Amino acid sequence: MDMSDTPHLLLVDDERSIREPLAQYLTKQGFRVTQVGDAEAARTRLQAYAIDLVILDIMMPGEDGLSLCRHIRATSETPVILLTAKSEETDRIVGLEMGADDYVVKPFSPRELAARIRVVLRRMAAGGARQHAPEAGSYAFSGWVLKTGERSLVDREGVSVPLSTGEYNLLLALVTRPRQVLTRDQLLDLTQGREAAAFDRAIDNQVSRLRKKIEVDAKSPELIKTVWGGGYTLASEVTRL
Amino acid sequence: MGRRLHARQRSHTTLTIRRFLPSSLTGQIALLVALALFVAQAINFGLIFRERQALRFNQVTAPAITRVVDAIERLRAGRTLVIPRVDRQGNPRLERRGGSRVDLVSTNPIPAGLDRAYDVEDGIRTALTELGLPHGQIVTGIRQIRGNDPRLATYSAKRAERLKRFGGELMIAVEIPGEGWLTLSTPWPRGARDVIWRLAAQTLIFYIIVLIPLLWIGRRITRPLKSLATAARDFRPGEEARPVEERGPDDVRAVIAAYNGMGARVTAMLDEKDRMLGAIGHDLRTPLAALRVRIESVDDDADRTRMAEIIEEMNRMLDDILSLARLGRPSEAATDVDLAALVDAVVEDFRDIGADVTLEDSPRIRARMRPALMRRAVRNLIENSVKYAGSAEVRLTTPPGSVAIEVCDRGPGIPQDKLDAVFDPFTRLETSRNRDTGGIGLGLSLARAIVREAGGTIALANRDGGGLIATITLPR
Repeated sequence: MDMSDTPHLLLVDDERSIREPLAQYLTKQGFRVTQVGDAEAARTRLQAYAIDLVILDIMMPGEDGLSLCRHIRATSETPVILLTAKSEETDRIVGLEMGADDYVVKPFSPRELAARIRVVLRRMAAGGARQHAPEAGSYAFSGWVLKTGERSLVDREGVSVPLSTGEYNLLLALVTRPRQVLTRDQLLDLTQGREAAAFDRAIDNQVSRLRKKIEVDAKSPELIKTVWGGGYTLASEVTRL
Repeated sequence: MGRRLHARQRSHTTLTIRRFLPSSLTGQIALLVALALFVAQAINFGLIFRERQALRFNQVTAPAITRVVDAIERLRAGRTLVIPRVDRQGNPRLERRGGSRVDLVSTNPIPAGLDRAYDVEDGIRTALTELGLPHGQIVTGIRQIRGNDPRLATYSAKRAERLKRFGGELMIAVEIPGEGWLTLSTPWPRGARDVIWRLAAQTLIFYIIVLIPLLWIGRRITRPLKSLATAARDFRPGEEARPVEERGPDDVRAVIAAYNGMGARVTAMLDEKDRMLGAIGHDLRTPLAALRVRIESVDDDADRTRMAEIIEEMNRMLDDILSLARLGRPSEAATDVDLAALVDAVVEDFRDIGADVTLEDSPRIRARMRPALMRRAVRNLIENSVKYAGSAEVRLTTPPGSVAIEVCDRGPGIPQDKLDAVFDPFTRLETSRNRDTGGIGLGLSLARAIVREAGGTIALANRDGGGLIATITLPR
């Protein structure tokens, strides 16, 4: 089959003005795209074809995107990327808890969406098993709680310590991989996913800023340790809440 | 000038009086009733007092006058005042008039220090003067008589009995020039002081009887009113308003019911507004998203980038409008936040995109706020400085009881008379701070709305040597 190498995407959006040019763009980017306008049509296509990834609009008349997402997750391993009109936290958290792999907020850049699609597909191809989106939930480590939904770090006394985007991404990368040694390149790769433009300063700088906020003594760090030979590791047990 | 001064004095007096007047409904009614009762009792007292005066004149003063006049006439006629007689026991007896005797002595027999009955003195003096009878001083003295008074034994049983009943004895001494002092005594009814006490007790009983139910009914009215006032004061349109319990008299219940209805209508209206804004947001974002997808087909990179920027800016504006409109009902909960870390995070985000923003190191500052909204307010101020001045210096200070975030720049500043106006939504300045895109200034309005919602203030000031200082002051 000539199509076997081409990932097959199912694009579900009731807005024709978005769906059609987007399908056109993604086709140009080398994907095979099937487009539908509602959840019911999406269900039949999912049964009829071997879909590699679903791009799903949350706000749709009739059955909405979240409900369809739950259905997909219950019946298959097909990854889902959500299109959301609101950047409100609740939508994002709910979507990720429904088992979506990623999301983009309207109006999104089609390039960014294509990049995300490739990342998710690569992850599926490499690991096989779907990885739970790291952003859903909270992580507790040595007295601190990193709440991913609200993107806040809370100390022992319940005081919220706001983090910059760079600091947040770095800390999220560390708490989701405790006791693993992460090189600067790995960290750069892991933290650039979300807001690419917001992160091009050196990792070392971000680490030292983060240490100032969470270490008892930033000069002799106990939590984020420097590993000889290049890299950092989170030296603490992490509990997922 | 003089009139104005007078007016000011009067208003000052009014103020002083007002300070001592009870301001509550119950207090005012109670005071009014107490005053009315007092006036009624005072009139009552006046009437009783006058009646007693008249009675006393008839009972005491008039007989005393008769006896004194009679005695003086006797003296003048050269007759002896004392008629030697022998009573039944064989003791010598004095002449009796009206059940008591009149004596002539050489000195004033009334000891100093006794209470005097001035009205009786005046009555006798007036009568003697009218009759043209010569007289000198007139002195009276009231003696209390108790049941076991030893003097009672010297009186006849009938007289002793009368004295005991009246409770007192009035001694009268009239100086007759050249003769000596005429003295007589007469029973004296219990003093006026008793009457005053009785009236006071009566008033007190009235007060208690009237005021206790009054306070009770007052409480019945004012307690539901107070809880209504509290509910109205605490009414936050964002939160679910609990209806106030309908209690108290019917009138008060009607007010509470009306208030509850109004609260429900306000909440419904805000819900409607939220739904509408959500729909507007969705409907405007969809064509923006469609446009954003379509511009990918533009081949000219520079053109496409510029288009993407414009769409991004429109989207931000839309965000600002929706946030500003929704601010009355924030979805984010207030929590304890390290404000220094918050400001630092915002500054860091600016530095990450290459903006020249500096922050003075600050110790941890704990305050209660909605962190995402406050981040936005601080971000808008810094964004403003970066846009118009190219750079910003941020500083945290802790004046007593509050905390201040200062964002300073060396930009063109704002004319002094426009400093307040720039906070109003959609204000455009004709001068250098006009937005190059010709857009609307919602950033500062949003920042002010967020800060006010948090109970703080926001102010702009021109800086010495050029530039602007924006200060957010928050309570701690």
